[in-house]
Amino acid sequence: MIEAKGLTKYYGQLAAVEDVSFSVDRGEILGFLGPNAAGKTTTMRILTGFSPPSRGTAVVAGYDIKSDPIEVKRRVGYLPESVPLYGEMLVSSFLEYVAEVKGVERGRRRAEVGRVMERCGLLEVTRRVCRNLSKGYRQRVGLAQALIGDPPVLILDEPTVGLDPRQVIEIRQVIKELGQDHTVLLSTHILPEVTMVCERVLIINRGRIVAQDTVANLARGTARTLEEIFISAVAQDAADDQPAAPVAAATGGGAL
Amino acid sequence: MRNSWAVCKREFASYFITPIGYVVVGTFAAISGLAFSASFLFYAKVSVNPGTYAYSSVPDFEETLLSPFLTFCGTLIVFIGPLVTMRLLAEERNRGTMELLLTHPLRDREIIFGKYLAALGMLLVMMGVVAVHLLIVSRYVHVEGAVLVFGLATVFMMGAAFFSLGLFVSSVTSNQVTAGALTFGLWFILYIFGSFAEDLPEANPAPEAWGEMFRNSVGFLYDFFRGFLHQLPIDFHAKEMAKGIVQPEDIAYYVLFAAFFLFLTFRSLESRKWRA
Repeated sequence: MIEAKGLTKYYGQLAAVEDVSFSVDRGEILGFLGPNAAGKTTTMRILTGFSPPSRGTAVVAGYDIKSDPIEVKRRVGYLPESVPLYGEMLVSSFLEYVAEVKGVERGRRRAEVGRVMERCGLLEVTRRVCRNLSKGYRQRVGLAQALIGDPPVLILDEPTVGLDPRQVIEIRQVIKELGQDHTVLLSTHILPEVTMVCERVLIINRGRIVAQDTVANLARGTARTLEEIFISAVAQDAADDQPAAPVAAATGGGAL
Repeated sequence: MRNSWAVCKREFASYFITPIGYVVVGTFAAISGLAFSASFLFYAKVSVNPGTYAYSSVPDFEETLLSPFLTFCGTLIVFIGPLVTMRLLAEERNRGTMELLLTHPLRDREIIFGKYLAALGMLLVMMGVVAVHLLIVSRYVHVEGAVLVFGLATVFMMGAAFFSLGLFVSSVTSNQVTAGALTFGLWFILYIFGSFAEDLPEANPAPEAWGEMFRNSVGFLYDFFRGFLHQLPIDFHAKEMAKGIVQPEDIAYYVLFAAFFLFLTFRSLESRKWRA
């Protein structure tokens, strides 16, 4: 469902991501791991058509992100990292707007909004103004707008950041359920989350993929936890490539 | 088109969910109302006693009151227009909702038209205020319907043209205050260029000593330049139209003005594709 081929993005001289290739199958949840500033958000922004790649391309839900961006956007639900919302709008009218923009027919809009609100546990805040929502509810509204129209591909950028433990468990459960019939690309730097939710992991560091396998395979033969694998993959990469690169920067963002 | 409508509805509604819409329309209504009352009272005094005001007879209503009032309304719209347009795209950028807007299945042109339509909606609300004044007048004075309609249309076109400039400026910055100030500044610069042109002599500035062909070409360029400057102020083409004299070039001026800046906005939004 998602097939990235050699994605490269430069910001000026700096390569935010470089030659990133991977694929995610239908009904799969891929965990996208990496320290802060590794290029997770940049990759996701490329896949959702927010910013175009400098080189390379990707096919999402059967359409090329460069030649058919609108078709891709119709099939992708995206939760941006910062969860931007229109502060002055009511939760329900915001979601109805999203439904309209995503092309949900007029007659089905209310039902669709009701469906995603129920799924994301928003029913008690329908008449609240987005600006006054707590971080946890903001995150859920962000997830809800991504789910509207039931797109086959979901790209979620750190969906559990800033939630309390109970909410984290709820959202993980929702994502797990979604993974049964959707293709999910989930970025996070919370490692246990990946073990709980994802089947496969992709570790990215300084813009390049450093490891890519199933959780089970990565740990096979050793008693290593995912944390250890993550740290060693990231450190290995730093040591291989640029001896001068500060290792602290690579390990510091691990949120262990 | 349906998507533009969705964007437009959201944008227009948010003018009136937040205080901006009420403040803008309220300010416009207050100032235009005061101006209208003052000029109407003045006209009444003049028509009772034309001689004391150096008129030989009762002055023409359309020329003395209506047309200056409509031009004034246009200018007033230009003054508070930046408050309407400054948020259109700058705010989306500032609060990050641009990321939603650009990852929802919307084409750039649908976003731009939606935003522009919402701003025009605000303009229509202001025109509604003007229309109330004109309706009251038409109860007491006989004014030709066409003059009223074209007068309103003039103010609308002038505002619409100016709002496209505001939309463009809003697309190049992420700060609303910058957008508002820049829009107003640009209008003012156009206005000043126009008044410079008023002072430029009509005669060919090239010295007599130059060869005739050279002199003529300098004269041609000078005339072109002078005419260009002269027509830069956004209300230049409204003056005649507000009297009910409709000329195609006046309408073309405003339509092209709006089309030009909508095109620039489109390009500006598109620039994210090649800029880092």
